[in-house]
Amino acid sequence: MSGASTSQSPPPMASISDVSALFQNAKKYEELNVIGTGAYGTVYKARDLHNGGQIVAMKKVKVALTEDGIPLSTLREIALLRQLEAYRHPNIVRLLDVCHGGQSLERDQQLVLFLVFEHVDQDLESFLKRAPGPLSQNIIRSMSFDILSGIDFLHSHRIVHRDLKPHNLLVTSTGRVKLADFGLAKTYDTDMKLTSVVVTLWYRPPEVLLGAAYNTAVDVWSAGCVLAQLQARAPLLPGASDSDQLHCIFRLIGRPPRQEWPENVSIMLDSFPDYQAQDLGKIIPRTHPHALDLIKGMLVFDPAKRLTALDCLQHPYFTEEPLT
Amino acid sequence: MPYWYYDKKDLQNTPSFRDGISTDTENRYRKEGARFIIDTGSKMDLGYNTVATGVVYFHRFYMFHSFRTFPRYITACCCLFLAGKVEETPKKCKDIIKVAKSLLTEQKFASFGEDPKEEVMTLERILLQTIKFDLQVEHPYGYLLKYAKCLKGDKPKLQKMVQMAWTFVNDSLCTTLCLQWEPEVIAVALMFLAGKLSKFEVLDWNGRIPKHTAWWDMFVEDITMELLEDICHQVLDLYSPQPQSSGGDSPTGPPPAKVPKNDKKPLSVTPPTSASPVAAAAAKAVVTPNKNGAELKFEPPKLEPLRYTYPAYPGLAPPYAGPYAAPPPGLAPRLAPPPLLYAEPRFPPVNVPPPNYFPPLPGRGPPPPGPPPRPYYPPT
Ligand SMILES: Nc1ncnc2c1ncn2[C@@H]1O[C@H](COP(=O)(O)OP(=O)(O)OP(=O)(O)O)[C@@H](O)[C@H]1O
Repeated sequence: MSGASTSQSPPPMASISDVSALFQNAKKYEELNVIGTGAYGTVYKARDLHNGGQIVAMKKVKVALTEDGIPLSTLREIALLRQLEAYRHPNIVRLLDVCHGGQSLERDQQLVLFLVFEHVDQDLESFLKRAPGPLSQNIIRSMSFDILSGIDFLHSHRIVHRDLKPHNLLVTSTGRVKLADFGLAKTYDTDMKLTSVVVTLWYRPPEVLLGAAYNTAVDVWSAGCVLAQLQARAPLLPGASDSDQLHCIFRLIGRPPRQEWPENVSIMLDSFPDYQAQDLGKIIPRTHPHALDLIKGMLVFDPAKRLTALDCLQHPYFTEEPLT
Repeated sequence: MPYWYYDKKDLQNTPSFRDGISTDTENRYRKEGARFIIDTGSKMDLGYNTVATGVVYFHRFYMFHSFRTFPRYITACCCLFLAGKVEETPKKCKDIIKVAKSLLTEQKFASFGEDPKEEVMTLERILLQTIKFDLQVEHPYGYLLKYAKCLKGDKPKLQKMVQMAWTFVNDSLCTTLCLQWEPEVIAVALMFLAGKLSKFEVLDWNGRIPKHTAWWDMFVEDITMELLEDICHQVLDLYSPQPQSSGGDSPTGPPPAKVPKNDKKPLSVTPPTSASPVAAAAAKAVVTPNKNGAELKFEPPKLEPLRYTYPAYPGLAPPYAGPYAAPPPGLAPRLAPPPLLYAEPRFPPVNVPPPNYFPPLPGRGPPPPGPPPRPYYPPT
């Protein structure tokens, strides 16, 4: 009987492209409204129709297809995000699902990816706006710890967030902070960036503004800015442009010594006045001395001398009294 | 989150089965697809990790689709193509197709359609959706090496045992074991099998404590002898006479003839001291892995000789380097892998997904010895 089967003509194959129609996400998630539009994609509030209508946040990212399909870097990044999820870190927003929208048009060389996250009610930006008065020292401390724990977790998996800011920090109904919008840096890099969206510079570390090499220390800088903002409820370094941002920074921490200036950057140290460091305690008054010391250690010009996220977690600000 | 382990009942009631394909035939398709990925991969110098990842994608894919809808060889190509990218050993789609063409009969290659590359590209998206972008897959290889490092005894004998276990892991790709058990469990079982066959009895190991009755108690909790033997049998069955072409070449062929089930030789339940019946049976198979084709008169010999040389066993010296061994560009290089914030989760009782595991905050467990802990997903 094997002879009989081999003599048959090849089986009529169901065309693969027909089947891809089965995979439209429209059937799985119902988009409700736009939560926000970032430079790299739009976040929607959506209903998960397969899970009892659970509300989720769906980030839509367009990926340019290459000659060999989906770019390796995007696949690597998604693989890693999926893998991180297994740890269920309390300070990382849950990634519930990843899917794609198929190709909308024949020969359309892009793919729409959907990253489905747990929906968190608000981000730190709106949390700070809505908070009626100054935050209690306990809340500030626990939020600071949450942020640094999330960063340390990413760093221990060799992920640099690169874009930490109150917008990307989500605040749950119980006041816990979770990091969002990370791990797709390479996907973003190669892709369709919306140039019309204004990218905030306030949390950018000097090495990025100078165009020098950077590493995980960038996130510690950004977190330092956020921690200061938690104390003051106003941004610490609200620069108006790239160069103004650098001036803001040096006005606060002082112009760095010449030997710390990175090599091969086009901006000259001498283009800045010889700013002297200011007293951070005067800028964010009523801040606990430990908190001030921690933030100072995070806002150090030289990335190599900046505290690491783990250093921060072990700072007396967190260890001297138990966290609630 | 997706959960990728199935019990035997699920493995029977697959989309292909519901589509009228017998279990024997499906298993043959799985085996041929896996073997084809291994052959294509080895011809293209892809490493064992990439090949194994491709095979796991392949098995998972057919838990959602029928072999009647998606012909196995093109799916196999696509799985290898995707695995190449995920494991950072990319191969051009057209090159994979070229090799595939050289390995397949014209008739089999016809299933790739008019424009094979376009088909693979389309299939890539279906594959990604089917495996839910769960791209990072762990394999038993790394665990084998990790376990071997802890075992004490005669070095050459140990080496031989690990080599044999490695081979069994390669061959286990042709079974659905990766859909049933975590890689840790498969590694334990196949090391156990290799120990029996190479007559190497593990009497002592680093980290031994009184409550351990066997070395694997150190790594995986609650492994029963019954489970080990079941896993070993599934691999050993690959070497016993099989109804190779009873199902026809294509899923649309005539229904498969009933074939007699192979008699299963019972595995000895005694500790691995005596030469068990399994050892004898398997040892024979190892010496003559492929006597079968010739005995089945009217059927062309299809079973490829099992490869005992591929993929290369790297020896004990270099530790298994996980896919993240090299820091991505842009990160400051670190001498040692960065410490993990959380201790490696204890392996849970087998086949029971663990509860959310979190040690109390703050504090950091000691860095785990191996690559990052494997992901656990609770059933959805
Ligand atoms: N899981 C989530 N639940 C609720 N809101 C979210 C979630 N993830 C992101 N958001 C909100 O969606 C908005 C857009 O987020 P997104 O991260 O895409 O953009 P962004 O941070 O503004 O910009 P960019 O992509 O340039 O970093 C933000 O206001 C963010 O707070």
